[in-house]
Amino acid sequence: MTAASSSLPPGFEELEGFVSYWVLDSNDQRRAARSTAEMDDIQRFYDAIVARAEQAIVHCEQFTLGQMPPASERLFKLLLAMNHAAIAVEMHGEPRAFDSTWPSAVRITQGPWPHGGRI
Amino acid sequence: MSAVIEKPAQTPNAGRHVIDEQSFTHAAGLSTGPVSVEPYRSPAFFELERERVFKRAWLCIGRVEQLPQENAYFVKDLEIWKASVLVTRGKNNKIRAFHNVCSHRGNLVVNQTCGVAERLVCRYHNWQYRNDGELIGVPDQKHFFDLDKKTCGLTPISCEVWEGFIFLNHQSKPEVSLAEFLGPFGTRYAGIPYFNLDETIVIQADFKANWKLIADAFAEPYHVPSLHPATLAPGFAHPEQNRYARPLSAMAHGIHRHFSAYGNPDYVPAPTSKVEQLVYVQDTGGVLGGDDSGNAAALTAHPAINPTKDRSWSADVTWIFPNFNIDYSTGGFWTHEFWPVAHNRTQWTLKIYIPKTMSIRHRLQLEHYACRWAEVVLEDVTNCERIQRGLESGAKDTMILQDAEMLIRHSLHVLDKWVKADHVADALS
Ligand code: FES
Ligand SMILES: [Fe+2]
Repeated sequence: MTAASSSLPPGFEELEGFVSYWVLDSNDQRRAARSTAEMDDIQRFYDAIVARAEQAIVHCEQFTLGQMPPASERLFKLLLAMNHAAIAVEMHGEPRAFDSTWPSAVRITQGPWPHGGRI
Repeated sequence: MSAVIEKPAQTPNAGRHVIDEQSFTHAAGLSTGPVSVEPYRSPAFFELERERVFKRAWLCIGRVEQLPQENAYFVKDLEIWKASVLVTRGKNNKIRAFHNVCSHRGNLVVNQTCGVAERLVCRYHNWQYRNDGELIGVPDQKHFFDLDKKTCGLTPISCEVWEGFIFLNHQSKPEVSLAEFLGPFGTRYAGIPYFNLDETIVIQADFKANWKLIADAFAEPYHVPSLHPATLAPGFAHPEQNRYARPLSAMAHGIHRHFSAYGNPDYVPAPTSKVEQLVYVQDTGGVLGGDDSGNAAALTAHPAINPTKDRSWSADVTWIFPNFNIDYSTGGFWTHEFWPVAHNRTQWTLKIYIPKTMSIRHRLQLEHYACRWAEVVLEDVTNCERIQRGLESGAKDTMILQDAEMLIRHSLHVLDKWVKADHVADALS
């Protein structure tokens, strides 16, 4: 993929393959994405985003929270999704808690601002 | 029907661990035998709870910040009362509560969950009420028969505020005031600084288990190492010093209660936990501390908080009878509302009070905090639905509680009193 066709800021093209699955608008959607993903896919996303996390944070820090250009906002949402991938990789070693049921009755009905969402 | 089996304490067998005078259970004056599980599975007991507990106790339904300005209102459905409740902030900031029911033909007046309005209009025939409950407008009034608007206001609900928490009572003339109801708890826990009130993370679940099962899950840390091995155990237990996450203290305060949770003072994220290392501000004294904004010192200095002033403290869980928790940590506080719907169905709301997002890194930390919490409650909710099935099978008639589960024993003891007492004063004694 060329830089011109990437939906992410220049320099972050290698993360493009994760945009369609992991760029989501709310905390609850990101949690659902991780909870229903395959562990291999979560691990691939985790490895890729963790490797670029510092640079991505520095990039996003140029902008006021809640007022990023679309490409940077997508990158920021990948960073938000990184936390959910970390629950699977760093805590459980599987997509969600041992023996938990899914779909689950538990919902994050209000997440932190911005991009936390409200149900 | 009884929530507590009246049996003398069993003599411990020789060789078994004998709980010494440090026993929280003995200190609270509770018996130590097995307790009945009937209150968790009996539809008849559930109806007793509805009439004798939830329709006589003061129930916390929110905080004053949910009414941020004059004329703000919010609506809350209380399934246990089969009622829709309207809470308003009127002139002079007076907070009032009403049944959200029109005097004309019983329609629900307000159908927004919250908003700002001095006048509230029932959309069936446009009867108009002021937010102090007065009926102020009736279209085509002249065709009614002797209509006296003054007697046709919204039906008020008794409403009192303690430390910013709004409590309602279903009795039209409550037998006891909120202060009497809170008793020693209300005085002991007065004056605690509430901070990080700017925003909330809200986690909710509507699930198939008795309301007390989820309340019980937050009343004891004994299950932390086993049910939450990855999400909580590293921060709230210690492989040598406190393997079973024994509480630092656990006490009854009248009909209410608290326990202080241990926090592993040596906790740091594992070297392999790259994201946790990246996003966490490691100065909060516990993995559930969302932020430390300097208010923590005032909180930890309060005599009610961490009463033994133990260094390895992480959080205090307080359980206000019957169905409300306020939990305090150095990172802020959170509340639980456990709302019964049926003997085997509960609607639960966890509100975590957080500071306004300050930076990109802070926002990432809050996301991690929210998703760790959601994972913890996923573990608890899944488990509660299993326990409900276990209890409803009829295989067991009792459960066996250890000392760290004292709050559950106290809850059932108080519940039993309320169910049996004809007067609230007797249930408080
Ligand atoms: S029922 Fe409310 S105006 Fe008729
Ligand atoms: Fe739990």
